Amino acid sequence: MDFAFLGQTFLQLFSGIPLTLQLTAVAFVIASILAVLIAIIRTRKIPVLDQIVGFYVFVLRGTPLLVQIFLIYYGLGQFRPTLQSLGLWQFLRDPYWCSILALALNSSAYASEVLRGGLRSVPVREIETARAYGMSGLRLYRRIILPIAIRRALPGYGNELILMVKATSLTSTITLMEVTGIAAKLISGSFRPVEVFVAAGVIYLAINFILTRIIAVIDWWLTPHLRRPKTIAAKLEPTHV
Amino acid sequence: MSDPSSQPVVSVRDLHKQFGALEVLKGVSIDARKGDVIAILGSSGSGKSTMLRCINMLELPTSGEVAISGEVIRLKKSGTRTAIADQKQIDRIRTRVAMVFQSFNLWSHMTILENLIEAPVQVQGRHPADCVAEAKALLDKVGIADKIDAYPAHLSGGQQQRAAIARALAMHPDVMLFDEPTSALDPERVGEVLKVIRALAEEGRTMLVVTHEMAFAREVANRVIFLHQGQIEEDGPAKEVFANPKSERFRQFIATAHNH
Repeated sequence: MDFAFLGQTFLQLFSGIPLTLQLTAVAFVIASILAVLIAIIRTRKIPVLDQIVGFYVFVLRGTPLLVQIFLIYYGLGQFRPTLQSLGLWQFLRDPYWCSILALALNSSAYASEVLRGGLRSVPVREIETARAYGMSGLRLYRRIILPIAIRRALPGYGNELILMVKATSLTSTITLMEVTGIAAKLISGSFRPVEVFVAAGVIYLAINFILTRIIAVIDWWLTPHLRRPKTIAAKLEPTHV
Repeated sequence: MSDPSSQPVVSVRDLHKQFGALEVLKGVSIDARKGDVIAILGSSGSGKSTMLRCINMLELPTSGEVAISGEVIRLKKSGTRTAIADQKQIDRIRTRVAMVFQSFNLWSHMTILENLIEAPVQVQGRHPADCVAEAKALLDKVGIADKIDAYPAHLSGGQQQRAAIARALAMHPDVMLFDEPTSALDPERVGEVLKVIRALAEEGRTMLVVTHEMAFAREVANRVIFLHQGQIEEDGPAKEVFANPKSERFRQFIATAHNH
């Protein structure tokens, strides 16, 4: 292995990290908003909407992300006049926005299932008690149901984020120059796939390592009620613990 | 204690509740006046918890009417089922009817302090600083001032139930509903919770207490209601009904309870 070349490759691949992170972040935020709505619709079994989003989840989970990316990027061109009249064409002709859309829709389907598990694990008694104390509708979700559900879903949800980071590599197929896109370009110029892909793999590994640590810290910070009360007891009764 | 001329705080009229083919309540009527401490007794399956849960509409009655401080809770029929007619009204009324549950049901993701100020701040819209000061005083009153920043899972059952009672008090309710408040506790923890409930009775708070604690009913309640198969079998001043029960079933119930 040529270490000088490896070092050079790293430096060139670094320039793709901002785009990789940006795709991940924007798609993840959109996916999360959609996922909360989908999970609530499915948990409350709202008629008609429940069936529609159920089908949506079924289709998006059952087909490959790469197929979805191609369908959106190449397929939507057929509907150009309609999209133009809706003012959406300027977004959907751009591979960046097509990638965001495909990643967000795909992830929303998976994330909604993770959240749905979280919602289902919220103790019925705590919800009933909130009702008995005058909470209903949005306030009940905002104050009691979602805070508990999100805490319980967080580890699985972190997994979604990591899958998203790796999924951004597929956007290189529709010309985006994120880490994998740049790697492919370097290989076609150097014919050294081992060094280039090892470097790209290490970059993804590093990103995901940092993200898993961040998620673990958030999880720790949000769930003091699941830990042994050492710090609390020590603070209140310093003499006998 | 209770003032017979005043308007009832809780008025239950001809309450019926059916679960499928099973008729759990077969026409129950109760008036609770300010300062009443009513013990609701009955063997399991007699409908006593269902009756209590119909007062704040956690169970929706099949027919009948409930009024809190003179305000009738509006219900509607959707098909054969009962539904809440006005969610805003029920939310508002529920803040005046504080319930204490058998299994405490503190919100697990909040500290004890956060549990106490949650409904006053979020639902009643009161000032957080006032609620915090009041919560501290209430926790002191129920004897767990040192647990203010602890989470429910870190407290014993008796402490959790006392925190839950403090949470109910923080609402400034017109009436408190206790649904078997000591049934989930270890025997040695029952006393500490009953002591708190007894102190509230002595303050003149209006309370309906579903319980299996006969001694508590005898000593603390001013009125006893005995339910049997969804109907009121005995209803009268505590001293009278225990000394001289009118219904044979209640006589038997006291005798069996006494032997345990």
